[in-house]
Amino acid sequence: MIRVALPTGDLRRETAALLDASGAGIPDYATGSRALRFDMLGGAAVARVFREKDIPAQVALGNYDAGICSLAWTEELARRFPALDVVRLRGLGYGECALWLAAAGGTSRAPVRIVSEYPNIAEAAARRMRLTRYRVFGVWGAAEAYPPEDADLAIVAARDAAGVEALGLGPLARLMTSSAWLIANRRSLATKDMSPLLERLGRSGDANGGLALTTPSSLPLRIADAPAPREALRLALPDGHAQAHTVQALAAAGIAVDGYDDRGFARRPRIDVAGVEVKVIRPQDMPQQVAIGQFDLAVTGRDWLFDHRVQFPASPVEEVVDLQRSRYSLAIIVKDVQADSVSGAIEEWRARSVGAIRVASEYPNIADHFARERHFGRYSVIPIAGASEGFVPDDAEILIEGIETGSSVRANKLTVLERFFESTNCVIANRERPSGARRAAFDALVERLRAGVPAPVAAGQGA
Amino acid sequence: MSNAAPSSRSRGMRDLLPDEMARVRRVEDAFAATCAAWGYSEVRTPVIEPLHLFTSAGTLSPQTLERVYSFLDWDGWSGERVVLRPDSTIPAARMYAERLDGGRVAKLFYRQNVFRFTDDDSAREEWQCGVELIGDTGVAGDVEVTLLALGALAAAGVGPVAVRVSHAGVVRAVLACASLTPEEQAAAYGRLLDGDTTVAADIESRVPQLSAAARLLFEVDGAGSGYVANVRSAFGGAVPALDEALDDLAFVVAALEARGVTPVVQAALARSFEYYSGTVVKFDVGGTRAGVGGRYDELIGLVGGKRVPASGFALYTNALAALAPPPPASDVASVVVVAAAADPRSIAAAHDVAEALRAGGRCVAMTDGGGTDARVLMRQGGGFRVESARGSADCPTLDAVSAALEQLR
Repeated sequence: MIRVALPTGDLRRETAALLDASGAGIPDYATGSRALRFDMLGGAAVARVFREKDIPAQVALGNYDAGICSLAWTEELARRFPALDVVRLRGLGYGECALWLAAAGGTSRAPVRIVSEYPNIAEAAARRMRLTRYRVFGVWGAAEAYPPEDADLAIVAARDAAGVEALGLGPLARLMTSSAWLIANRRSLATKDMSPLLERLGRSGDANGGLALTTPSSLPLRIADAPAPREALRLALPDGHAQAHTVQALAAAGIAVDGYDDRGFARRPRIDVAGVEVKVIRPQDMPQQVAIGQFDLAVTGRDWLFDHRVQFPASPVEEVVDLQRSRYSLAIIVKDVQADSVSGAIEEWRARSVGAIRVASEYPNIADHFARERHFGRYSVIPIAGASEGFVPDDAEILIEGIETGSSVRANKLTVLERFFESTNCVIANRERPSGARRAAFDALVERLRAGVPAPVAAGQGA
Repeated sequence: MSNAAPSSRSRGMRDLLPDEMARVRRVEDAFAATCAAWGYSEVRTPVIEPLHLFTSAGTLSPQTLERVYSFLDWDGWSGERVVLRPDSTIPAARMYAERLDGGRVAKLFYRQNVFRFTDDDSAREEWQCGVELIGDTGVAGDVEVTLLALGALAAAGVGPVAVRVSHAGVVRAVLACASLTPEEQAAAYGRLLDGDTTVAADIESRVPQLSAAARLLFEVDGAGSGYVANVRSAFGGAVPALDEALDDLAFVVAALEARGVTPVVQAALARSFEYYSGTVVKFDVGGTRAGVGGRYDELIGLVGGKRVPASGFALYTNALAALAPPPPASDVASVVVVAAAADPRSIAAAHDVAEALRAGGRCVAMTDGGGTDARVLMRQGGGFRVESARGSADCPTLDAVSAALEQLR
């Protein structure tokens, strides 16, 4: 049986079309079915749908023999793990884009701050440019929103220079070209008959191009003097699922934000509180940004604060208001396990001679923390970007996931062994508070947000 | 055929068993004794250092930096990474700049490990015996560290040693003269390190008048002062920046020759260490890399200190341990003391006896791991029995035990 990892998201439509044209079509995949597994090639193969970003790791681990994803994500993993067991077979002729080094001005601070969803490529680019000192912020998204205030350079995906400019940035250099590629596991290619798949897909597109990472030989920005002291209080608000809850919390606090509502958001909306600036970024990325002092306050989830705190136990970030909305549990989810506890499940897997217990999660630091705290013994953490319900039991023994009602878990016939953390949305701040007028604005804003918390009154009174 | 379970050891990491460790210690001890006899003091730098220490331009190449073990520390929320030390000279330079720079010459040695990723099963952790001579010692300092390295190798019983010398300034001067950009110069230098002598042809096409000199430099490995004189003559002053480098090289080669060492002179030697600015020396034993060293006058300035010239070397401990003769067998008598019974008082009494025998210069074990010269059996109610391969004796007192151990040895 050939195991194939296929992308959901941007590449899905064209991948489905390619499969159809090559005689390997999967009707339900093409129509956007929510199922995650499909028979393929008349039963000679099985396809599993992943977020594109997760496919190179799944192929490298050998969970899948082949996969289709953008070359950029494969390169991102290979930059971190140069001995990766992934062979890049062919470009498939669609999904063209490029990774661009971009900035929102002509100057940089020292150390140079680089933001990207591709942190390993960013590290490689920094080394190639011989930067003597730099910081890389690996973010979940919205990299384009960071320069110039919160980063000097961004590495972003765009089709062309005009696409970079449309993101509000100036293109400095094209680092690599990318498109959808067929990739395969090295051992599978060496030992397994994959010809039914390769005959159909291995003749499409182009085996050349796009493999080199090209960087400027030096930083294309002038190092500027230290920035002027900040005058405004800086607040970060979340996009994505957390946005609706945050809109409610702001409304309950009597705070109006023009350009941030149920209909959408601008990256830099205007708040009706004097002396406060707002930027919209991913909630996952907020604790680090608050820790390094880019933002004074941020509205995120307690789950993401927990993930940050277990990665950096001495971090200066703390919760100042529990907003009591966006409530869900982090849970240990398994499938096809007889045991009704985590310790029982571990014993069961050991009895079955499972090697490393694989823990898949969007919260890699919490997963690592949990595995250590519960004495998993040999384990591996598989960071994932989504499509999580399909991971257990074939691609991981455990899934650590946020669940609300559990309906999705039941629909996928999964078992919740334990709910171990209650998450709500919250306001976070650095323990080192701002001073002067900014401190007054800080206290006033926190007080208004606290006043909007639904009864009973929130914990976290330490502002 | 082995049926052993797969090892839990990480790839590229080694266990050292007692006999291997004894060889390592022999090399390290010989090295340390030699350094101490030359007036050097031992130091140790941390295993974890900030990545930016190694990313400073001109310290390690990007190719080497792609192989470092880097990660975010537990307090690394700023996004700056730390590394497992990939090199010992750069941390030593940092330590000097921060802690030791009192204007005097610092003469330091270390025995420590470095970590670099490899694609295969070869060692990712390497132990080094290194020396740094920091201060304005001039080219005589290069001679000193080279002869110190040879002294340490001889003390460890390793040889014969082939010495290869080069000068970073020679190649750089010639490549700069050929109007190559800094990137082209780096690429050409890399090709030379890979043994690609077509670099000479590239220079010939750009500066035809230097063709004979370039071929002499890049295609002929020289032996001693005569070769250096030939190179100087062939260039005939056409590359002024070459003169100083050749002066240094000629000085080192002449001094080594006067000490009975005839080095091979090569154009380019050291891969990955961009901090070398002057003489570079490599030590090989029977085709095995035994060590590398050189002058690094810019490094301390690059890591935040004042510009202080320096020179040093690192010997590869694991390679030397394999090359060195096995350590001589110990001539210390080894004894195991067996308690009269397994109760706490008897065990404590056995320890009393062992302590007294150790005070007499013996190796005394409490559990028999094999390989001991004699056994001292304690008897219920007092007295001892001494047994060895040469016979046995009943002894009423500890003095009698000592005498019997000598007699039965």
